Amino acid sequence: MNPRVVGANLVVSLKSFYRAKPAMFFTIAFPILLILVFGALFMNQDNMSFDLYVQDLDHTDSSAQLVKTLELEGKFKVIRIEPAVNAAQYTRDYKSSLVLTIPEGYEGSFLQRTELNDPDASVTLTYLYDLSSSLVFIKIQILNSVFSGINQKMSGEPPFIRSAETSMLAGKYRFIEFFVPGIIAMSVMILSLFGTVHLNTELRQKGVIRKLSTTPITRTDWILSNILYQFILAVLSTTAMLLVSYAVFSVSLQINAWVPVFMLLDVFAFVGIGMIITHFTKEAESAAAAANAISFPMMFLSGSFFPLEMMPGFMQTFARILPLYYVNEGFRASMIFGDHMAALRHSAMIGVFAAVVFILGIIATQWEEDQ
Amino acid sequence: MTKKAEHAIEVENLTKRYGDLLAVNDLSFNVIKGKIFALLGPNGAGKTTTVEIIDTIRKPTSGKVTLFGMDVTKKKHDIVHRIGVLPQGFSSFDRITVRETLQYYSRLFSCANTDIDGLIELVNLKDKTREQYKNLSGGLKQRLGVAIALVNDPEVLFLDEPTTGLDPRSRHEVWNLLLGLKEKGKTVFLTTHYMEEAEFLADTVAIISKGKIIAMGSPGALIERNANYLVLTLRSVDEKVFDIVREMGFEPVHDNHKDVRVRVERMDDVQKILNTIQEGGASLLSLDVRRPNLEDVYLKLTGEALHKEPAGGAAQ
Repeated sequence: MNPRVVGANLVVSLKSFYRAKPAMFFTIAFPILLILVFGALFMNQDNMSFDLYVQDLDHTDSSAQLVKTLELEGKFKVIRIEPAVNAAQYTRDYKSSLVLTIPEGYEGSFLQRTELNDPDASVTLTYLYDLSSSLVFIKIQILNSVFSGINQKMSGEPPFIRSAETSMLAGKYRFIEFFVPGIIAMSVMILSLFGTVHLNTELRQKGVIRKLSTTPITRTDWILSNILYQFILAVLSTTAMLLVSYAVFSVSLQINAWVPVFMLLDVFAFVGIGMIITHFTKEAESAAAAANAISFPMMFLSGSFFPLEMMPGFMQTFARILPLYYVNEGFRASMIFGDHMAALRHSAMIGVFAAVVFILGIIATQWEEDQ
Repeated sequence: MTKKAEHAIEVENLTKRYGDLLAVNDLSFNVIKGKIFALLGPNGAGKTTTVEIIDTIRKPTSGKVTLFGMDVTKKKHDIVHRIGVLPQGFSSFDRITVRETLQYYSRLFSCANTDIDGLIELVNLKDKTREQYKNLSGGLKQRLGVAIALVNDPEVLFLDEPTTGLDPRSRHEVWNLLLGLKEKGKTVFLTTHYMEEAEFLADTVAIISKGKIIAMGSPGALIERNANYLVLTLRSVDEKVFDIVREMGFEPVHDNHKDVRVRVERMDDVQKILNTIQEGGASLLSLDVRRPNLEDVYLKLTGEALHKEPAGGAAQ
């Protein structure tokens, strides 16, 4: 390995990157845009409220009080429907996912229970809902919880089982804190994988690598300078993402020694995969397609965007064989939880994977022409 | 011993196969130090494969190639410091300027004393030093390629079709550059499919066809040996001229401009033909008599090779 040669190659790569303004913009801007869009979408997740359509057929003080209770809960923005309206038709016409109907005689039953202590007095509220809406079950869950609270209060007996909520984290963490480490892991993967594939196939197609093979630069020098180049890009991109996240969303993420460690392992793993792809695909277009085929499923299945708990069981099992999963989890363990043992465990997993694919990548990288 | 020391390159029974395709078939030749050697042949003849084996880009299937007595398959690291290569279809980093490109290659060779300005001047790129590679014309790119091949002050220069795609003026500039390098004592190994390029530049020309050398020698010797005749070209609007010449027992052909071209052994034959045309009442617009060139040699040799076994012994 010749440091002078590695340095010369690195300088050429960085100058080429700096002078390709659109490429430079998108390398840094794309992950930032993702953070801004998703961050804005989920920033107020805790204060989210849903539209709730209520048809009060009873039209009494008691039924009005019930509607007010639902409004005060804070989870619903109540929209009242006239009693004369056909609720089913209204649901279809106005694309409302759920209509709550308070039946006639609500107040009578209510007074019978509260004033006369009649245990048999009850009322049935109707949920008219559209199953195709993804939000309908969340709304029903919240309604059930509100009504069970009212029932509990009316029974006058203290609950047997209570729950106490204590966060395992020191501070309050939001979706954005979960999201940013995943986007960092994903961006470094894309930079390293596509950067390697593009650089190698383009230069090979243009004959630059053939020319380089007649100079003293060795395969090791070339690969090492590529690793350094991708790592520098990863540092630039990660710094930009973190600055935006701190400035716009005031994220509570720790920056510790694990961050560069996971960035480096991310770079090694996906530069290695990029080198292997380059060996098997001769044209830049087919190499890019192969890189897409690898990176796209990894992006969505390894928990970069969404928690694994949201996925079916077999997908969660599948996610655990994806290298990006360990980078995601490693970043989160260190940046969110400050859990060094978990970070060590994940770094060991991705480290072994990176070492294997990187060695295979070195073997697969050809310097001399054989065809 | 002394004779061997004069050879910069020695090729013995070189063969290269790509699966079933025999690209290079048992080539043997030497290149003398300080001379220009041209490998001449059509596309697909095996020129690039041969030069890429010698300049260490490819590995041979069998045979031995030595540069300065070093086996190219075993001493690549030592050899690359002593050679300069302009591969076929040379390209470089798009967004790197002319000067930066030369500095980059100079660093690869760890050459602290490369005269970058001298190289830029040599290839006449002085007003393009800040231009990025992607903005250069084909001719300028090729000249930069030659300059890159010279950054390590090589003893042998390999140029694979250095003037392909260049306009006549750029081509002549490259030719003059190569003649200048020869004067400085560099050995130049050149591949080309331009006959006039090989004839103008080369001390030794090897004509390659279907992976085999079918003739080798100085351009003059090749012409003398293989094309000992004169070429008479007759331009006329009278179609009788072609028939008159044929009836005299010659074998006239129409060339691209519909002129009548005929091979004759001696100048006396030219006079006879002119007299007969005059007697036949036909008129001529112009005539041209010239010695044959390498193109004529090549056509003659490959024409034979198409119908007969290639003259393998010619290379020896």
